Amino acid sequence: MLKSLLLGAVLGTSLIASASAQDYPTQDIDLVVPFDPGGSVDVTSRLLAEAANKYLDGVSVVVSNRAGGGGVVGQSFVSKAKPDGYTVLAMTSSVVTNPQLKGAPYNIEDFTPVAAYNLDPEVIAIPASSPFQTIDDFVAATKDRPLNITVAGIGTSHHMAGLALTSAAGLEFNYIPANGFGEQLQAVVGGHADGAFWPMGEAMVHAEAGTVRILAIASDARDPNFPDVPTFEEAGLNIPIWATFRGWAVPAGTSDDTVSFLSDLLKKVFEDDTYQEKMAAAGFDPIYRDAANFQSIITAYSNQVVPIIEDNGLAK
Amino acid sequence: MDQIALGFSELLQPAVLMMLTIGVFAGLVVGSIPGVNDNIAFAVFIPFSFNLPAEQALALMVGIYCAAAAGGAIPAIMIRVPGTASALLTTINGNAMARKGQAGQALSIAMVSSVVGGLLSALVLLVFAPALAKVALRFGYVENAALTILGLSSVVGLLSGNVLKGVISAMLGLLISTIGYSQVTGYPRYTFGSINLIEGIPFVPMLVGLFGVAAVFDLLRDQAQERRENTEAEKLPEIGSMRLGRRLIRRLIPTWLTSAAIGNFIGVLPGAGMLMAIYIAYDQAGRRFRKHFAGRKGEANWDEGAPEGIAAPEAANNAVTASSMVPLLSLGIPGNSTSALFIGAMALHGLVPGPLLFTQHADIAWMIMVAFLACNIIMGPAAYIVIRTVSRVIFSIPKNVMVGVIVLLCLLGAYSDGNNLFNIWVALGAGAVAYLMKIANIPLGPAILGLVLGGQMEASIANSLSISRGDWLVFVDPVNHPISAVMLLAALLMWVAPALRGLRHMRANRFAKGQRS
Repeated sequence: MLKSLLLGAVLGTSLIASASAQDYPTQDIDLVVPFDPGGSVDVTSRLLAEAANKYLDGVSVVVSNRAGGGGVVGQSFVSKAKPDGYTVLAMTSSVVTNPQLKGAPYNIEDFTPVAAYNLDPEVIAIPASSPFQTIDDFVAATKDRPLNITVAGIGTSHHMAGLALTSAAGLEFNYIPANGFGEQLQAVVGGHADGAFWPMGEAMVHAEAGTVRILAIASDARDPNFPDVPTFEEAGLNIPIWATFRGWAVPAGTSDDTVSFLSDLLKKVFEDDTYQEKMAAAGFDPIYRDAANFQSIITAYSNQVVPIIEDNGLAK
Repeated sequence: MDQIALGFSELLQPAVLMMLTIGVFAGLVVGSIPGVNDNIAFAVFIPFSFNLPAEQALALMVGIYCAAAAGGAIPAIMIRVPGTASALLTTINGNAMARKGQAGQALSIAMVSSVVGGLLSALVLLVFAPALAKVALRFGYVENAALTILGLSSVVGLLSGNVLKGVISAMLGLLISTIGYSQVTGYPRYTFGSINLIEGIPFVPMLVGLFGVAAVFDLLRDQAQERRENTEAEKLPEIGSMRLGRRLIRRLIPTWLTSAAIGNFIGVLPGAGMLMAIYIAYDQAGRRFRKHFAGRKGEANWDEGAPEGIAAPEAANNAVTASSMVPLLSLGIPGNSTSALFIGAMALHGLVPGPLLFTQHADIAWMIMVAFLACNIIMGPAAYIVIRTVSRVIFSIPKNVMVGVIVLLCLLGAYSDGNNLFNIWVALGAGAVAYLMKIANIPLGPAILGLVLGGQMEASIANSLSISRGDWLVFVDPVNHPISAVMLLAALLMWVAPALRGLRHMRANRFAKGQRS
């Protein structure tokens, strides 16, 4: 009796589970971008949504901007949303650090990663007019005096990349926080700062234009567009990888089937040629890492930054 | 020359030209709706632009950007509610003229000034962009710090009489600008635990509140007073004749040229913004007016319907539009928050502004440059049509109905910036504060400049000191930072000149008294 009841329950739940898998998605999926339209997360999300809608039947992925609080407003919104797969967060590395740095009212555990679509390795960029020709010149100069380095903000992953360089390779920097990339670009191209820590995605076009020079890249392999630029490891900086990530996440508690549906959707998008071209043209390197892989990227990033936040007393 | 021809051949495709024209009309309308500005219009439009070819989307954005700065003057003149922040100062003399039955004249001055300012700015973009981009690059932390101080000092000229209240107002603005994320430390401060305040009080909703909502409170008070005193409600002004006399045009030429030059200069500098340009231009025009025209027979007082008081801010704000594209197109550095939105719109189409744009996508780069010229040419007649048709209908709506509509539009505009309900409270709160300040006779201008410039002032001073390792003399270093030294000197003069004038005035009075006794 008990056995058959149990069997029935198991059968029943698996039936419901499979039914719900078939039932998803029956309505439009909200892709919440926690920033204003026009930023890098917004642009990539729109390119993703455009491609994803080719593979969805009758429903679509709709980008909705919920800006404010440096991303915290939109991120909190998703953390509290119903875990039904219809509210998806355009997740960035800042989700890992915001609870500690900005007092965001969620935890990284409140989200289930779906898949990552872009990894942006950190680069060291300097003005084209700078006397430093190689990373060795740069390193030697930091031993004389701390170099003035402009970063996107104190406590950002770019600032922490510098702090990591200090503990891993003993380089000293004087950080100049900026409000936005344009301000940093002005400081570097105008020669008002000695250099900047930037994501490759933003630095690339300006390096190609010859207004800035990239000295090293924090990636496990050299960038094919810049074959002469050494990796941090090759340059002896003792940091294998330092990269910000972009991906999709859903509220914790979302069913595995839904997560894998979304993850498969992103895989199809990744294999789409038009999407690949458009991402590259906008300056982003398209990748695909499934849910498990994305989780390990997040964990690795968290393991990298949390000690830095604690050692430097950055937590709020 | 070939490149300019290339730009025109791209622009003169029927679909692109049509989009530019639509943009100009849309911009005039968006600009003339209080509570909705070009920032908000772009935020709404960028997602749609995804489905348009790049050249059409960008032509439309250029049209909106230029025309919104002009359209803001229409409600500023007609009902004393600026349509956009850039028309803030136009309200003063513009509405005064309209109440004297010269609304058409005031509107004409505003539109002609906008076109003149816009055209000069488009020419500057087309001809001098590379050279000016180099000037913009000379502005580092030290220069930016000096620029914010110069900008804040421009307000001294506007303080007719009560300097103390002006200083209080500026302090209030600076204090409020410290709310939120501190660029220097990286921590949010004075947020009272609200995540909505991490980046400070949301700026666009705050502007909507300070200008739109506050003006509505003002209109409501007028109405209440009329009802109490049982007087006939003052009708909205008739538009009337829009002809400008030849003498008036000749008289305004120097103001146009100075204001356009100020707008162009400020526009090219990243981070300075439109509000600083209109304040400096207005201050300059006021000096000129007092010197040449004040007190003459048939002349209105400054702030009470002087044509220069309309021409200066309107020429300056449109001069900022095209010139703010100089650093964006040639370097990839946005000149102000609106031109920053172009980056996003371009990225959606795989375009990245910067030097490479001119080699990889020369057609589009030059199309944008000539589009600024073309849209200012279209804007003149377009403004005439809009004023004669749309505005005429709108301003025949009864005042009390209009008040309700404006409130709704303001709240809608505030909400649509980020789709956050919190923004509505910000708009209402800012409106209430601005209204209370008005009752207490505290000028709003200094507070707004403090709000706009506060964050940049704090960060650029801190960063300058960080680079100089704490040496304050870096700001007046004539060898390494001559631009900063000159700007600080100019700022000093702005403070000293009125004080000296006051002193001379006092001595003259005492002398006269002495003779009498």
